[in-house]
Amino acid sequence: MTHSSDSPSLFENLRLELRRGSLVLAVLAALRKEQYGYTLRKALADLGMAIDEGTLYPLLRRLESQGLLLSEWREEEKRNKRFYKLSPAGEQVLGQLLAEWKSIDSSLKEIVKG
Amino acid sequence: MQLLERYLKSLSPLLPAELREDILRELSEDIQSEMDDKQSELGRPLTEDEQYEILKRRGNPLEVAAGYTSNRGTLAFGRQWIGPVLFPFYVRVLTFNLGLTFLIVGAVFAALSLSGQQVHFADIFSSVILQLFIQLSAVTLIFALVERHLSRHPHHWNPEKFKVELQVRIKKDIHQKIHKKIREVPRFESFSILVASTVALLWMQSLWSHPFLIFGPAASLIQLAPIWHRVYMPTVAVILAAMLRAAINLVRPDWIRFRDVAALVLDAASLAIIYALIFGCTWVVPATADSTVALHAAQAVNQWIPYGLWIAAVISLAQAIKNLLRLYYNLRWRDTAGA
Repeated sequence: MTHSSDSPSLFENLRLELRRGSLVLAVLAALRKEQYGYTLRKALADLGMAIDEGTLYPLLRRLESQGLLLSEWREEEKRNKRFYKLSPAGEQVLGQLLAEWKSIDSSLKEIVKG
Repeated sequence: MQLLERYLKSLSPLLPAELREDILRELSEDIQSEMDDKQSELGRPLTEDEQYEILKRRGNPLEVAAGYTSNRGTLAFGRQWIGPVLFPFYVRVLTFNLGLTFLIVGAVFAALSLSGQQVHFADIFSSVILQLFIQLSAVTLIFALVERHLSRHPHHWNPEKFKVELQVRIKKDIHQKIHKKIREVPRFESFSILVASTVALLWMQSLWSHPFLIFGPAASLIQLAPIWHRVYMPTVAVILAAMLRAAINLVRPDWIRFRDVAALVLDAASLAIIYALIFGCTWVVPATADSTVALHAAQAVNQWIPYGLWIAAVISLAQAIKNLLRLYYNLRWRDTAGA
C-alpha cells in the first residue's frame, strides 16, 4: 500500500517482461507465412501483440543468425523489401516452443485455480 | 522524404559498419511503408510535422542503434551513464590509456627493484590505484557527458533545423552512404582519439608539477632529465596534430586519404621523437644531488629505459607500416571503385 505511486510502473515493467518472453514465439509463429518487417509488425499489432521496430528488427536479425529464419530482398510494389520466413530448423524449434508454452499454460491454469 | 533521409543520416554512423547498409535499407523501407499507410488513411500527402511525429516515435537514434549492436555492455550506477553504443569506445580508450600508464609505472618499479632498491607492495598498490582513479574518472566523465548530451538532444534532425540546412547535400550524402558503400573513418574512432589525446595531454601537463604520477613514491629520489623538456613541445605538437586530424575526420569522415597521409606524417614525427629520446643517454636524474640512494635509483632506471624506448620504437614502426599499407590499399580500392 505504501508503494501505491510505484504500482503502475511496477506493473508496466512486469507486464513488459512477461510479453518479452512471448515475443520470439509470436514472431516465429507469424512467420510460418512469408512476410516483410512492416506487414509482420502490423499483423502482430492487429492480433494484440504490438512490438516496436526497435525491438522487432534486431530480433529478426538475431533469429536469422541463429538459423531459425530465412530472408531475402525482393521487389514488391516497385520497392525493395526484405521478406522473412521460418526456416526448417525454425519450424522444428517453433513446435518445441509451442509444446513448452502449452505446458506452462496448463500448469499456470492449475496453479491459479488453486 | 528529406526528413527520413536526415533521420537515417543521424543513425548511420552509430550502426555497426558491416550491417549499416542493410539496416538502413530495411529501416528506410519500414518507415516509408508506415508513411505510405498514413498517407492513404488521410487521403493526402503527409505534412512535415506529421512525418516528424512518425520519426520521433521511432526514438532516439542512439537507442535505435543500441538494439543492433552485438555489444550489450553498459556502465550503470542506478541510471545508465554510458550506453551500449558508446561503451566499446569507452573501453577502448580506457584500455589504451591505462595500459600505457601501467606500462610506464611497471617499468619504473621494475627498474628500481632490479637495482636493489626496496620496493614495497603498498607503494606499487597506491601508485596503481591513483592512476586507475585519475584515468577512470577523466575518461568516464567525458563519455558520460557525451552520452547525456546525445540522449538529451537526440532530435538534431528536427524540421526547423532541417529547413536551414543544405538539402541537396544531405540527399547526396545519404545516397552515397546507402548505395555506393563509400569508405569512411568511423566518427566514434575520431571521437575516441580526441578523448584519449585530451587525457594524455592533461596527464603530461600534470607530470611536471606532480612527478608522483609517473614515478610513484620514487618521485622523492628521481626526476625527469632535461631531454624530456626538449621533446616535450614536439610531443605536445604531435598530440595536438592528432587531435586536429581526428576533429577534421569527425566533420569529414569521407576524407580517407587525408586520414591515411596525416597518420603517416604523425607516425614519422613520433619515430623522430623516440629516436631523439633513445640517444638521450640520461632519462632520469637524482632528485637530490647528495643522496647515494637517489643516485643508484637514477642509474637503475636509466639502465632499463632504453629497452622500453626500443619497444616503443618497434611498436611505432609497426604502426607506421600498417598505416602505409592501409594508404596503399585505400588508394588501390579508390582506383578500382573509380574504374
